[in-house]
Amino acid sequence: MVEFTALASQVLVGLSRAMILFIVSAGLSFVLGVLRVPNVFHGSLYMIGAFSAFSIATWLGGHPAGLWLALLGAPVVAVAVGLVVERALLSHLYQREHLMLILFTFGVMLVLNDLVKLVWGPDYRSLVAPPSLQGAASVLGISVPRYNLFLLFVGPLVAAGMWFVTAKTRIGRIARAAAVDRDMVGILGINVSRVFSAAFMIGCYLAGLGGALVAPTTSITLGMDHTIIIEAFLIVTVGGLGNIWGALVGSILFGVTQSVGLLVWPQFAIVFPYLATVIVLLLRPTGLLRSVW
Amino acid sequence: MTAKRSVVLLVLVLTIGMGARPGPLQAQAPRLDRAIKVGIIDTYSGPPAVFGNDALNGFKLALAEINKDGVLGARIEFVTRDERFSPEVGLSMARELVLQERVDLLVGTINSATALAISAYAKEQKVPFLVWISKSEKITGQSGHRYVFSTGENTAMAGRAIAEALARKPYTRYWIGAEDYEYGHSITNSFWRFMKRMKPEVTLAGQSWWRTGEPDLVPYVTAIANARPDAVFFGTGGAGMTNVLRVLKATGMSSRTPAVIHTAIDHAVLRPLGTAAPEGVLGTIDYLWYYPETPANQNFVKAFQAAYGGPPGFPAFHGYNTAHFIAEAIRKARSLDREKFVDALEGLKINTPVGEVEMRACDHQAVLPLFIGTTKKIPQYEFLVATDIATLRGEQVMPTCDDIRKARGS
Repeated sequence: MVEFTALASQVLVGLSRAMILFIVSAGLSFVLGVLRVPNVFHGSLYMIGAFSAFSIATWLGGHPAGLWLALLGAPVVAVAVGLVVERALLSHLYQREHLMLILFTFGVMLVLNDLVKLVWGPDYRSLVAPPSLQGAASVLGISVPRYNLFLLFVGPLVAAGMWFVTAKTRIGRIARAAAVDRDMVGILGINVSRVFSAAFMIGCYLAGLGGALVAPTTSITLGMDHTIIIEAFLIVTVGGLGNIWGALVGSILFGVTQSVGLLVWPQFAIVFPYLATVIVLLLRPTGLLRSVW
Repeated sequence: MTAKRSVVLLVLVLTIGMGARPGPLQAQAPRLDRAIKVGIIDTYSGPPAVFGNDALNGFKLALAEINKDGVLGARIEFVTRDERFSPEVGLSMARELVLQERVDLLVGTINSATALAISAYAKEQKVPFLVWISKSEKITGQSGHRYVFSTGENTAMAGRAIAEALARKPYTRYWIGAEDYEYGHSITNSFWRFMKRMKPEVTLAGQSWWRTGEPDLVPYVTAIANARPDAVFFGTGGAGMTNVLRVLKATGMSSRTPAVIHTAIDHAVLRPLGTAAPEGVLGTIDYLWYYPETPANQNFVKAFQAAYGGPPGFPAFHGYNTAHFIAEAIRKARSLDREKFVDALEGLKINTPVGEVEMRACDHQAVLPLFIGTTKKIPQYEFLVATDIATLRGEQVMPTCDDIRKARGS
C-alpha cells in the first residue's frame, strides 16, 4: 500500500526536522531541569537566532561562508540577550513559584518580540544555504534535500556535545547536583548563582543554534517564536521534564509521526504528532523517560 | 470639545507625516466645511504586517497627490488601527472608529475573516467599507451588500483565471496542498470549482492541509511528490507561500511536477527568497511593478520607489486605487453624505497604473485584470520575476451579475 521508498523518505525528512526540535527542546529541558524555570521566552531566543543568522549572512553579502559564520555567531547573540535578561531580572526570581516564573518569562517573550520588530522590522527574511547544501541528493534512490541531510549530521553532534557537558565537565556535574539539591551545593561552597547562570547560557545557546539552523529552511518571520515554544514544551513534557534524552525521544516522536502521518492521511496530518503526545501522556503521565522534577 | 478636536487633528497631521505634504491653503473657498476622515483597520504587527504596510504606503502616496488640490476644497485624512489579524479586535476597532472617531468611511483589511465581520457591521451602520487586500470571494459575493466594496481582486477571479490557464494544459490528476485558514479554503474551493467546470475529466489525487505558520513543509512536499500527481495546486499566502516555494526548489520537485499558486509571482514573496525560489512555478496576480510597461505604471513605480525605497507590491496598488476611488466618488457625489457616496462609487471608473478600472455596480467589485506568469531567473535581477505574462481582463474572470444575485439569494 505504502511504498518503501516513500516511507523511507518521509522518515528521513521527519528525522531531520526532529533534529531542530531536539536542539531547541534540549535547551528548554536543560533549563527546566537545572533551574526549574519554564522559560517561555526560549522561543524568542530561537527567533533572535534566526534573525541574527540572516543579518550575519547578509552582512557577508551572500558569500558561501555566510551560513557557517551565522551558525557560529547567531547563538552568541542569543546568549548575549539571555545573559542580560538572566543577570538583570531572572536571577532575582529563582525562588518564586512556577506560575510567577511563567508569567515573567511570558512577559519577556512579548518584549523580545517587539524588540525583534524594532531591530529587523516586520518583513519576511530569507537566508539562502551555501551552494553545497542546496538542492536534493539521492540516498539509496530516495531524493532528500541536502540541507536536511546536513541537519541529520548536526543533530547527533549536538547530542554528543550535551552528553559531554552534562556528564564529563565540572559545570555539568554541579548543575545536575544543583538541580537535585540547591542548598546542599551552596553549603559545599559552590557559587550556585554562577552555575545557574552558566546553565541558562547553555539553554540560550541551543535556542539560538536551533534558530540559526532552521533559518535556511523557512521564512524568518515574527511569530516563529510561538510555533516553536508550543512544540518544544510538548516535546519536553512527552520526553520527561528536564531529561535531555527525553527531549531527543520526544522530538523524534513528534517529527516522524508528522511526516509519516502525511503518507497515511495527508488531509489530517496536522493531528498526528499531537495525537501521539496525548497517547504517551495517557500511558505515561510523567513522560517517556525519567523526569528530574 | 474643540480643544480636544484640535489635539486629535494635530496628532493626525503628525501621524500622516511625510506621506502628505502640508500643502498651501486652498485659494478658492472650500466647499466642504471639514476634512474627509477615513478609518483604516489592518494588520500592522506579525507576519501579515508586510502587506498591511504596503497597502498603507500606496494609500499615502495617493493622498499626497490628492491633497495637493484637495477634494471639494477639503483634505483626506486617516487614522489607522492594528487589528492584529483578529476578527474580534478588528470589529471592535470598527465600532470605535465609527462611534468615537466619527470617520466618514472604513477601509481595510488583510484578514478575510475580519473583512467579513466589519462588512456585517458596516451594513448595519450604513457606513461605506472599502476592502483592499482580503481576497475571499464572499466579501462581494454571497455576503455582499450596498455598503461594502472591494478594490482588490478576489478568489473567485483568481480561481477562474488559474483554471482557464490550466484547462489548456494536459494535466488531469491534481493534488491540492493548502493552508488551513479562510483564504486557503476560499482560493482552493474556487480553483477546484472552475477546474471541474472547465475540464470535467480532472481528478483529485489527494489533498494535504497544514496549519498557518507551519515552519517545515518538506515532509508535506515529499509526500506529495511520492504520490506523483500531474500538477499541484497550492492554496497558500504570505509566509506560507514563501515556505512552499523554497521547499519546491530544495526538494527538486519544481523541476519534476508543475506547481500553480495564486500570487506566487508576487514581488513581496520572490524578492526575499532570492535564488532560493524555484523556476517554472505558474502564478497569478493583479499587479506587477514591471508589467505592463506603460507610462502610467512606470510613473507610479517611480513615485513609490522615491517615497518608500522599494517597488510597490499588489497591496500598494490596491491602496493607491482605494484613495483615488474615494476622492473621485466624493467629487462625483459633491458631498460627504454616505448614501450619495455609495451611489457615486457604483459604476465609477478611475485611471490606475494598469489602465481604467471600474467599480462594478452590481456587486461593488473592482474590475481588475489578472496577470498569469511563470517564475524565472533573469540576469538583471538578483531575484526571480514573472515571465511569459498573459493578461486576462476582469470581465473574463469575474462572476456574472446573475451569478452574484444567485449567490446572494435575491
